[in-house]
Amino acid sequence: MRPFELTLTEAAAALDGGSLSPVELTESVLERIGAVDEQLGAYVTVVAGAARHAAARAERERAAGRHRGPLHGIPFALKDVIDAAGLPTTASSRVRSGHVAQTDSAVAGRLAEAGAVLVGKTHTHEFAYGLTTPQTRNARDRSRVAGGSSGGSAVAVAAGAATFALGTDTGGSIRVPAALNGVVGLKPTYGLVSRHGVTPLSWSLDHVGPLTRTVRDAAFVLSALAGHDPRDPATLRDAPAPDALVPDGDLTGLRIGVPANYYFDRVAPEVETAVRDALTRMSAMGAELVDVEIPLTRYLQATQWGLMVPEATAAHERTLRAVPELYAPDVRILLEAGELVSAGDYLRAQRARTLMRRAWRDLFDRVDLLAAPTVPMTAVPSGQENVSWPDGTTESVADAYVRLCAPANITGLPALSLPVGRDHDGLPIGMQLIGRPLAEATVLRAGHAYETAHGPLGEVAGSGA
Amino acid sequence: MNPQELTAQEAARWALREGLPLEAGRHADVAATAHHIRTVIGTLRELDFGDTPPAAVYAAGQEADHASL
Repeated sequence: MRPFELTLTEAAAALDGGSLSPVELTESVLERIGAVDEQLGAYVTVVAGAARHAAARAERERAAGRHRGPLHGIPFALKDVIDAAGLPTTASSRVRSGHVAQTDSAVAGRLAEAGAVLVGKTHTHEFAYGLTTPQTRNARDRSRVAGGSSGGSAVAVAAGAATFALGTDTGGSIRVPAALNGVVGLKPTYGLVSRHGVTPLSWSLDHVGPLTRTVRDAAFVLSALAGHDPRDPATLRDAPAPDALVPDGDLTGLRIGVPANYYFDRVAPEVETAVRDALTRMSAMGAELVDVEIPLTRYLQATQWGLMVPEATAAHERTLRAVPELYAPDVRILLEAGELVSAGDYLRAQRARTLMRRAWRDLFDRVDLLAAPTVPMTAVPSGQENVSWPDGTTESVADAYVRLCAPANITGLPALSLPVGRDHDGLPIGMQLIGRPLAEATVLRAGHAYETAHGPLGEVAGSGA
Repeated sequence: MNPQELTAQEAARWALREGLPLEAGRHADVAATAHHIRTVIGTLRELDFGDTPPAAVYAAGQEADHASL
């Protein structure tokens, strides 16, 4: 196995054991980027020189006995809405032309402290306001969408062009591309990870989290990212530090909620079958499956839009007036239309969110986790705008990809997407595990148990090519 | 609740009221997009919120953190 094919967990073990060096690992990932990125378009910027320097430093520190932890010497990528000192944060937009971040974002700073090696910045749907990331191609089938908005990060991880990456998630933007490219994506509890230095889309819905090849990898990254930060007032002061190591074990005693409504409505049959098969396997591993009713589903999209649309427009207030022609057409018109959402609309959405949080808290009195498809269908061909369902309805591809992810953004609950199968075209299918606030340990333990027993574990796309 | 159809002229005037002058060629498209958004969001008018407060992000005392930076 070549170094770029190693999962984070495997690479960390190889570095600890001395069979691999940070420089060898980083060179392998950089070579992989060189081999595949012209086709995939995952990266905006590759910082090979800085990466080699950081890898050499990690190697010297490890040799001197200064071990910073499991990320020490591991190559990673940042979605290009996340600041890294001295580099542009383009947000994949012409609006950001000439921008250079003066300082690290909180998460880039934490990863630097952990000794991780930044190899580059990855494409996003412009300003994270979209679900396809049109600059980037799906890692499993280049004629298909990457998903978004963290499409570059998901594709880089799936293709072996980063050992892990960070993304942001406002309505599914970590979990959607994770599902569509066959990798793991974790949206942590709202407030567990600082957004300082991250270009906002919607302050009350934005989250930062990892994209990795395995669930255990995600836990390692999360433990390095989490913590209170006074520069992001939404971060939680007393949240327990997440464990870096997910324990092995079965699922005995775990109560998994299976939605009787909403999450399996207007879902492709192959996606539903794959997720229900995964649930059957989890039951065989000791979990108790409990039918649950999802509350207030009629108001989910209204609440998501009522929060996101005016917040995004507010975040872009100045540039929308100064350089509107520099935005892509799809993003520009959403920002402009957002000017016409009233304060009353926004407050109704915030009040509906209060109702939803209460109702979801009650739901979690009966279960420890909720399991559902991450997205209703696999990666659509690039350029496809709508999807039709057997009930006669049609929805935009973006609306379909957001539909099952948005509840965890509105409620702030932790949500993990992991691969559970493939469709007839070989395209990945993702399952979503949603937990109580700050119950990342439960979500990760269940996901790790599933993937350990049933795989796939960290399979790199097209590595035989 | 389905909000009243927004005309191109109304969209332009409302945007201008918010300090955003729209080029004439964009009025109709912005009106259509805004109408769609307002139709989706308008569903929330069905809810009886009673005394339900908005989900707040403000917490008193956080200024102290900033002061210590």
